[in-house]
Amino acid sequence: MSQYIVRIEGLHKSFGKLEVLKGVDLKVTKGEVVVVLGPSGSGKSTMLRCINKLEQPTDGKIFLEDIEITDPKTNINEVREQIGMVFQSFNLFPHLTAKGNVMLAQRKVLKRDKAEATKIAEEQLRRVGLGDKMDNFPAQLSGGQQQRVAIARALAMDPHVMLFDEVTSALDPELVRGVLDVMKGLAAAGMTMLVVTHEMGFARDVASRVVFMDEGVICEEGTAEEVFDHPKSDRTKDFLGHIT
Amino acid sequence: MDRGPRTARRLLLGLVLAAAMLFAVAAPALALTNPQVTVDQEAGGAPTRFTFVSLTDGDASITGMDFVFPKGFDLSKVTFDTVTLEGLIRNKVKVTGAATGETLSVKFDPSIAPSSTLRVQIYAVVPTNEGGTYPLKLSYSAESTATGTPVATQRTDDTMKFSYRSPTIPERMSRYLDAIPFVTQWNSVKALGMFFKPQLIVTSVPMVITGWFLALAWIAFAFPIAIVGGLCFAFMKMSKVAPLRWIAAAYINVIRGTPLFLQIFVAFIGLRIAGFRVDDNITAVAVLAMNSSAYLAEIFRAGIQSINKGQFEAASSLGMNYAQSMQFVIIPQTVKRVLPTMTSEFILLFKDTALFAAVGRPELMYAAQNIVANTGNMTPFVVIAAFYLIITIPLINFVGRLESKLAVSEHGESPTDRPKRRGGLFGGWSPASASPELVVQASSAAAPPRRSGR
Repeated sequence: MSQYIVRIEGLHKSFGKLEVLKGVDLKVTKGEVVVVLGPSGSGKSTMLRCINKLEQPTDGKIFLEDIEITDPKTNINEVREQIGMVFQSFNLFPHLTAKGNVMLAQRKVLKRDKAEATKIAEEQLRRVGLGDKMDNFPAQLSGGQQQRVAIARALAMDPHVMLFDEVTSALDPELVRGVLDVMKGLAAAGMTMLVVTHEMGFARDVASRVVFMDEGVICEEGTAEEVFDHPKSDRTKDFLGHIT
Repeated sequence: MDRGPRTARRLLLGLVLAAAMLFAVAAPALALTNPQVTVDQEAGGAPTRFTFVSLTDGDASITGMDFVFPKGFDLSKVTFDTVTLEGLIRNKVKVTGAATGETLSVKFDPSIAPSSTLRVQIYAVVPTNEGGTYPLKLSYSAESTATGTPVATQRTDDTMKFSYRSPTIPERMSRYLDAIPFVTQWNSVKALGMFFKPQLIVTSVPMVITGWFLALAWIAFAFPIAIVGGLCFAFMKMSKVAPLRWIAAAYINVIRGTPLFLQIFVAFIGLRIAGFRVDDNITAVAVLAMNSSAYLAEIFRAGIQSINKGQFEAASSLGMNYAQSMQFVIIPQTVKRVLPTMTSEFILLFKDTALFAAVGRPELMYAAQNIVANTGNMTPFVVIAAFYLIITIPLINFVGRLESKLAVSEHGESPTDRPKRRGGLFGGWSPASASPELVVQASSAAAPPRRSGR
């Protein structure tokens, strides 16, 4: 079995004539928290979305453990249930309660029985600090609470890796902390995570590795200290200079 | 043997026979041939006209008649006239008479000539309520002029029968109303009497209600078919297969681009001329279902496409396949969004059943038109308006409530934050919300576009 949970080789992605990813290579080992930084339009989110094939890669290979995701013969739905994804815009199912959101895919995809799905949903919702909001509909929850439900929904599928796509960008500043705390807790519990974010503090505290992307390629990667305090690439320096 | 007395006896017999024959010729014959009576009102208990018609025989003239009506008939307000008919010419006959109890006695002056057609009309006879077949007993005086000297004869005829039915409950109610002075006063106000005549309200309800049931039955079949058809066309129009898209687009555009009235005429008259003979009710259901499916297809398509792409992505990222995502994530949200518009479409379709009056289907409008044509009174139109409203007003309220619920679930607004949308005839109206379109737009920005009528 591969030592890597996720392995990306020579990933290219174009939208029409616009080439967004120009050859990305990335390996994520079990338990790693990889934080992907970079300016807007650098291709971070696109790379993340290629991993569970929400975007169809133009070229290159992506593996989840030993399964080649990019192989057309792979049943993508089976792969996706092992990859948890959390979106910038939450994308909770508005017609279901918090608990219903967490239960739906457990029931329909994993075919768990109702009692088990309920038990797991309640566990996960308590884990993200929403034990008292289980029967609320998304519209009755704050953005931060919705995002935590979305995390619980992904966790309930027992994913091998979690992808976070700018999950705090749409939140009011006072709600960001609750979500980041949940993510820190996950990292501490050993979850393999790929996090696209603009939260430098989170990257510094939690990241086992920081990847800096610009213009469709990875410019620099290393520990948080290496990238933040001793950036080698000019583009990284420029980017960090702008935001700090 | 003595032959004399035998001869004398024979002679006597012959004389007696001859005299008998002579007498028989001199006396009037039956004097009336084929007497008949008809009654105008189908139902008893109300003043009505009786028409008596008979041929008089060639050898006697009629001088008077006694009509004996069945027991319980009221002749107190009776009037009458008499004509004789010669070919197409009517001659008015002077007639006098009076009623005593159930018997009306009339005298003709001059008497009715032999071989004429006699017609006596007796007005304002009030029969009993109890329906059935009754005899009309007639005794009449005839005067034979065959022998030169008038021979008066009294004859009776009890072959005549007439029948009527008991009045229905609405008819009894209507007659009860006739007797109330307030109702008479009410009807004397032209606008009230012309549009809200109480008697016509009670009598037209049972006559139009079958039309109401017919329209509801059509819709009960047509709408579910239209929903299935609409879903098919909606998915066809969103299909990746171009010919499917073209077929759906062509169907939707043609149906939505032509009047329903025209479609009804094509189905009922065009097809018939072309030689297709389909049951009228099946044709009506088919036309309604086809028409509505085109509108529903657009409603469904807009509804599905209005669901955020992120919903599909979230479902996919959890490992759900296309069918599961549609079934458990997209469609439930679509249903919620399109339900108000769908209900509006249902209301429109129900109202559109009125168009079938033009091809003679006996629905509400047709039934009302018939009564209006017979009575010259607009009240039946008001009555059927009520029948339409019984269905539409609750549904309009339902749409309103759905829309505010939708606003709550999609925007997190609590119901108390919004102005209450009240139902009823005047529901939802306030100076601030006098433009209903505006209210609708504000409350369902996310909902698919609605159709404002055909």
